[in-house]
Formats: sequence, C-alpha cells, structure tokens
Amino acid sequence: MVKITLENITKKFGDFTALDNINLKIDDREFMALLGPSGSGKSTLLYTIAGIYKPTSGRIYFDDRDVTEIPPKDRNVGLVFQNWALYPHMKVFDNIAFPLELRKAPKQEIEKKVIEVAKMLHIENLLDRYPWQLSGGQQQRVAIARALVKEPDVLLLDEPLSNLDALLRIEVRAELKRLQKELGITAVYVTHDQAEALAMADRIAVIREGKILQVGTPDEVYYKPKYKFVGGFLGNPPMNFVEAEVENGYLRIYESRIPVPAQYRGLIEKLGIKEVLLGFRPHDAEVVKGISEGLVGEVYSFEPLGREQIVTVSVDKAFVKVFAPEGEHFTFGEKVTVKIREDRIVLFDKKTEKALEFLV
Amino acid sequence: MNKINKEKFTALSFFLSPMLLMVVLFYLIPLIMTVYISFTQMRNWNVERYLKDFVGLYNYERLFYMFQHDPTFKAVLLTTIVFVGITLIINVFGGLALALATFFISEKPASSFRLLWLLPRMSPIAVYSLVWYYFFHGSEIGTLNSILMKLGVISQPIPWGQTVPWGAWSIIIFVNGLVGVSFGMIVFTSALNQIPRELVIAARVDGASAWEISRKILIPLTKWHFLYVLTWQFLSLLTTYPHIFLLVQWDLVNRDYGTTLALYVFNTAFGRGEQDQGLAAAAAVILSIIGVIGGFVTLKVLQFEKMMKRPRGDF
Repeated sequence: MVKITLENITKKFGDFTALDNINLKIDDREFMALLGPSGSGKSTLLYTIAGIYKPTSGRIYFDDRDVTEIPPKDRNVGLVFQNWALYPHMKVFDNIAFPLELRKAPKQEIEKKVIEVAKMLHIENLLDRYPWQLSGGQQQRVAIARALVKEPDVLLLDEPLSNLDALLRIEVRAELKRLQKELGITAVYVTHDQAEALAMADRIAVIREGKILQVGTPDEVYYKPKYKFVGGFLGNPPMNFVEAEVENGYLRIYESRIPVPAQYRGLIEKLGIKEVLLGFRPHDAEVVKGISEGLVGEVYSFEPLGREQIVTVSVDKAFVKVFAPEGEHFTFGEKVTVKIREDRIVLFDKKTEKALEFLV
Repeated sequence: MNKINKEKFTALSFFLSPMLLMVVLFYLIPLIMTVYISFTQMRNWNVERYLKDFVGLYNYERLFYMFQHDPTFKAVLLTTIVFVGITLIINVFGGLALALATFFISEKPASSFRLLWLLPRMSPIAVYSLVWYYFFHGSEIGTLNSILMKLGVISQPIPWGQTVPWGAWSIIIFVNGLVGVSFGMIVFTSALNQIPRELVIAARVDGASAWEISRKILIPLTKWHFLYVLTWQFLSLLTTYPHIFLLVQWDLVNRDYGTTLALYVFNTAFGRGEQDQGLAAAAAVILSIIGVIGGFVTLKVLQFEKMMKRPRGDF
C-alpha cells in the first residue's frame, strides 16, 4: 500500500527513447491504467516501476522511499503478465508458493497463505493441477494469485486480460476491479484496450510515443480529451473529427455551418484561431432526416447493434459516425442532418492537435 | 489396396525414398557387412581369400580372451570407460554452464564469448590437435613445460602424455572435452532462448537469484535438451577417434592408455602392420551394442517416454 511518484523518468534503449520525461503520481490504493497503442512505452513504464528496467534518468519513489536503484525483489511488487508466465513444470500450488519459497518462509505458513489466496480467487480446487490442464481464465487467476500471495505493496498488471476471449474478459474485469478495491492495493494496469481502462481504472494515463498525453479520471479523458489522439483512441467508435473554419461566430464545415459553441466563444476570439478541428462523440449527436441546421450530409452506411445503430454520414469528404435509436430506418444516400450537442463539442487546434482550452 | 491408400503410398514413397536410400546405403549395408566380416578371418583386406572363410564366433572368442589376459586391450577398455565418462560430464555440464552463464549477460559479449568456445570445433582437426601437441609436448619445447619451468615450478620437463594412466587420459579428455562443450552450449542456448522471457522476469521480481532461476526454472525446462545432448554426446564420444588418433600417432600420449575402443577398431582394421578386419569388425559390433544399450539406458533413466506428449489433435 504505497503511493508511487515518477519524476522525470526517461528510458532509452540505444538511440530509441522509449520513455520521454514521464511525470506521474499514483495515489495509495488507486487503480491507474496506462493506456496506449502498442509500442507507446506503457509496458516499459510498468517494468520500470517494477525495477526490471532502470530509468536512464529520473527517479521513482514508493511513498517517500527512493527505489530507483533498488532491485525488483526488494520493491515488493506483484507482477501479472499478458501470457501469465506460469511455470509449466510446476503445479498450481507450487506456482503460487514460489515467491514465498524464495523468501524461505516456513512450510506451514506457505501452505496457509497459498490456500488463503487460492480461496479468494476461487481456485482452491485446482492446486493439484499443472498450468496446461487449466483454461485461460483459470491460468489468469493463478497468475494473479501468485502476484498477490506475497502481499505486495503494488500490483502491476501487463495486459492481463488480452489473452482471454471477449466474454470472459468482461467478466474478469469486473472481478478484478472489485478485488483491487477489497484488498486496497495500489494497482497499475497496462492496456491497449480503451474499454478496459474506462471500465476499471480510477484514473487513466494516456501514453503515446513515450510521452504521457493526459492523466485523468475516465470521465475527464473521455469527455475532455487534451489531444485529438486521446479522443480518437478512447470510445468505440471513437470521437469524430471534422475540419472547420471560424467565420464570424460560426464554424464552417464544407457547406454547413454551426454556431461556435458557447464555451469556446471567448477562447476563439482570444486565440484568434481560424482553423480548428471539431470533435464530438457518436452519442453526442443525432441524425435528423432532411436538410436543416447542423452538419448536412448523406447516409453512407448503417450498422444495427441491437439496442441502437451506428449511422455513418458522409459530410462532403469527411465521415462521421453517430448513434441512432433502433427502429429508425435509413436508406443509402439519403439526405440527413447531424445535430451535435453543443456543450459536448471539443475544438482542437489544427496544427498542434491540442484542445483549445489547453492551449492557453 | 483401394485408391486412397494407393495414393498415400505413392506420396509416402516419393518423400521417403531419398532418406530410405541413404539409410540403406550408408547405414544398413555397412552394418550387415560389419557383422558378416566379424564372422570371417578377413585380414589385410584380402577379400578374395577370406570373404568365404567363415569362422563362426572365433573373433569374439579372441576378444573375450584378450579381455581376460591382454593388458593392452584391458588398458584400451579402461581408457574408453574413463574417457567417455569424464568427457561426457565435461561436455554436458560444461555446455550447460556456459549456456546459463551467457544467458544472464547481455547479448553482445555473450555471443562473442560463445564464438570463442566454437573455435575448437571450427578449426581443422589437425591444426587444433597440433596446438595441443605443442602445448602438452613432453620436452622443454612444450608450452606447458616451458611455462612451468620459467615459473620455477618444475626443473625438468614432464612427459605429460606418457605419464600413465592419468597423464594420457587427462590430455585426451581435455582436447576432446574442449571440442564437445560447444555442442551442448549451442543446444542449451537455443533451448534457454525459447523459454518465455516473462518466466525469468517473474522469478526475478519474486526475488530469485540467477542461481535459483537456473535451478528451479531454466534447468527443469530444458530437461529434454539435456537428455538429447547427453545421449548424442555419449554416442559420439563412444565412436570418436580423429583427435585421439593424431595424438597417439604423434606419440604425444601413451599408446595403450591413449587408445579408446573406437580408435582400437580403426587401428586394427586400417592401422600400421598386420590388419585384422575380422577382429576389428567384432570389436565394432561390440562397440555398437554398447552404444545401443547405453543410449537406451539414458533414455529410460531420464524417462524419455514421459516427455512425449500425446498429440492433442489441434493444429
């Protein structure tokens, strides 16, 4: 149970900069997700926290203790891997007991603790099996049990769910979140799956090319993306972006125009920006038949998803995706207008792709 | 035979025939010839005269008699046991130790270090043997002798290879051992590299030292490779003779305590003086039987069949 502080962490592999001046504070008992595409450096950051990689520069603190130079075994962290990394030649019991055996704990204590943690994860009846005799979900529990058995201060998870099939993943993620809160353990969770990050984390750090773009609660990063990249990475389907020109209090988007959203009026004037990117989430707009006030376009495609459907509208050269209620019927090529909820619009600077409110 | 079976048979024979031909030509026929010759009086390759001179088990009886009474042959057998036993241990465990050692250091120095150990295998046998010939030479021109004399450890050169039995044994074991470790090293290195990196990282995070990682994770997971190297090296050491042949030929090591059974077979069949192919063939048959039994025992002792998993049918 510690607070983690990362100060100016840079990690280079030869000429390649994997982590570029990372600053991040993870609170005690917090569930922090490191979210980013593959190759973004999120796993490198996790392994740096674990002590497997030593940062090229910068410092890591667990509470007030500087652990930068401390080897992994003395940091008391539990690590769960994407492929679970169970020792294939050991039975489940021995796999879970391994960290305690390395600590030369007495036999009785080992047995007591292994059974305790196995019960917590509902795998007490699997202790006598080999990893290859288990299903993916069971192996994953064993891996978590092995990480938890030594009562770590920090639980580090490296895409632990991505080897599970889709349904199981959703089930396990709810359970994992509950487990983390029950144990009150500080957790850092690496994932490329934005849905996982949104569903589980207290806060999300979005990482790209070794830099942290934004840190915030799921709501913050979802509704107030700091960069176009963040908006485009979170959500399914992700945020829509269309280019717009500022024209006397209006935004011109090809042939359509909409008023500049109230929250941006002062800002746009102050910055004197002429070209922006308009972003909005697919559920923050509605599709209305015919031509009226809003983004005018044609129905390009529609995908029913049960409760709702995704309508893709072509607005001149741009495409936007909007959720529409079930039962509404569209035809290809039909003229429609996309009406966007004004207060949910996010405007980005076209050049830096940074949200205008963060430009100041 | 129905049509599908026939097609299968055609395909099978097409793909298998080159291999079968090789096996028959280079393995089965020589084997049969050797066994046959061991029942004849064949000598000096006088095929016309001795090919049909069938003497039954006479050659085997001679071998048995020598085994009981001939000190030279006894020395050869003892040398074979000591040579194969100790060199095998050096080869297998040395290879494993090198692979583990290089596993824990970074890739660049590791590969140059491995390359260094490959030199004995890469250099031509004669050149490589010559190096050690000069190194262990019994006079003051021998590198080892001259170093020791310069250091003042000894005052007279020691004829290392003629010091029986351990002097001669040490040299042939040393020279062959150095060649053999690289094989184990390569097999074990590739085996270790196939172990998922995460297993090692997980163990390290849990506090395992390099030694504990090796003993509890890496070695158990390379059991199959260990068995393979052990069996392979056992069989090749049993039948190897080129290095030893040269060392004996150049009189670096004692003839009796520097000759293994494989070299004995070679010398008896092709060596200087009278050649006795009948006797050599009998000895070769015995050598092969020892090899088969030895190989079988290693597989049995290390529970080879347990490592064969039944195919699960999904591929």
